[in-house]
Amino acid sequence: MLRTLTAKRRNTLILSLALAALAGCQTTSPTTGSSGVSYGDSKAVETVTTELGSTDIQMISEKMTQSLIQTPEIQTLVKKRQLMMASPVKNKTSEYFDTRLITDTILTQLQKNGVRYTIESEDMQNQVDELRRQNQSGLYNKSKSVKMGKMEGAKYRLDGSISSIIKKTSDMKDVYYKMNLRLIEIETGVVEWSDEKEIRKTARR
Amino acid sequence: MKRHLYSLGILLATSVHAFAQAPEMAPSPGPSIASKLEEQGKMDYLQVTDLRATKRDNLLRIQAEITNTHAGNQQLYYRFKWLDRDGFSVWDEEPWKPMTLYGNQKQFINAIAPTFKAADFRLLLQSPNNTAN
Repeated sequence: MLRTLTAKRRNTLILSLALAALAGCQTTSPTTGSSGVSYGDSKAVETVTTELGSTDIQMISEKMTQSLIQTPEIQTLVKKRQLMMASPVKNKTSEYFDTRLITDTILTQLQKNGVRYTIESEDMQNQVDELRRQNQSGLYNKSKSVKMGKMEGAKYRLDGSISSIIKKTSDMKDVYYKMNLRLIEIETGVVEWSDEKEIRKTARR
Repeated sequence: MKRHLYSLGILLATSVHAFAQAPEMAPSPGPSIASKLEEQGKMDYLQVTDLRATKRDNLLRIQAEITNTHAGNQQLYYRFKWLDRDGFSVWDEEPWKPMTLYGNQKQFINAIAPTFKAADFRLLLQSPNNTAN
């Protein structure tokens, strides 16, 4: 009888320990998967390669926004509710990257300060398609449709380029990037503001 | 990091907001430089030796002087937090920015608030080569 009780207690103890061990394997973290994928800080300094990366794009956008926002033209543009736009920045480097990453960030940050901007040529087709759909398809109630010929033109446009110089030796690679951005009054073609950002990245092999 | 106890001379928007130096034991008339810094770890060789802020054209402008007290190069990472008068954040997180300071060099960090709403700031600093918690 005594032996049976002891055996029962031992089994209960083993079962409890096994359950505790299983519970220990579980995590309270709200994640799933175990493939080694993890999320990082999108604002961290990225030094994976010397090619243009997230930190470079973020630093360029930030510098240009800070410089632009203090210009009298932008402050007048905000007060008078005038419009600006961004032309595609020329990528003169040997790398491929979408330069709209830079201009989109600059425009978004300026808009948070009251700057209004118009769509650029790349987005124009979607705009024209929608205007035509509402006005020419015959599917929409005309009294509740937007009108053609009401689009507003920008007073200023942003334009610029990004270039690079690459130097390599057997054990070292040095890349120099230079981004130039200008604010141009569209009617006159006068450059009202310009600034540049330089970045140097060096890697030892 | 040996903090220099500087007093904050906060003036009105029309004048320069300078973080002026004061004797260490003197009663501080305003916030110190230290109150504007957030260091991630302890920096042994890099010090913020001057910090100025002013508001021009409704935008907060900051100038911080960083001094490298070591003979060798030091790497610094920094970014700003932009706050309103009540201490609420008024801008998204900035990217960390790298800066190299040569041996015994002094260098300025100049920044302009990205928004007209910014009335206060914090300077976040991290130096990986001499951080020890």
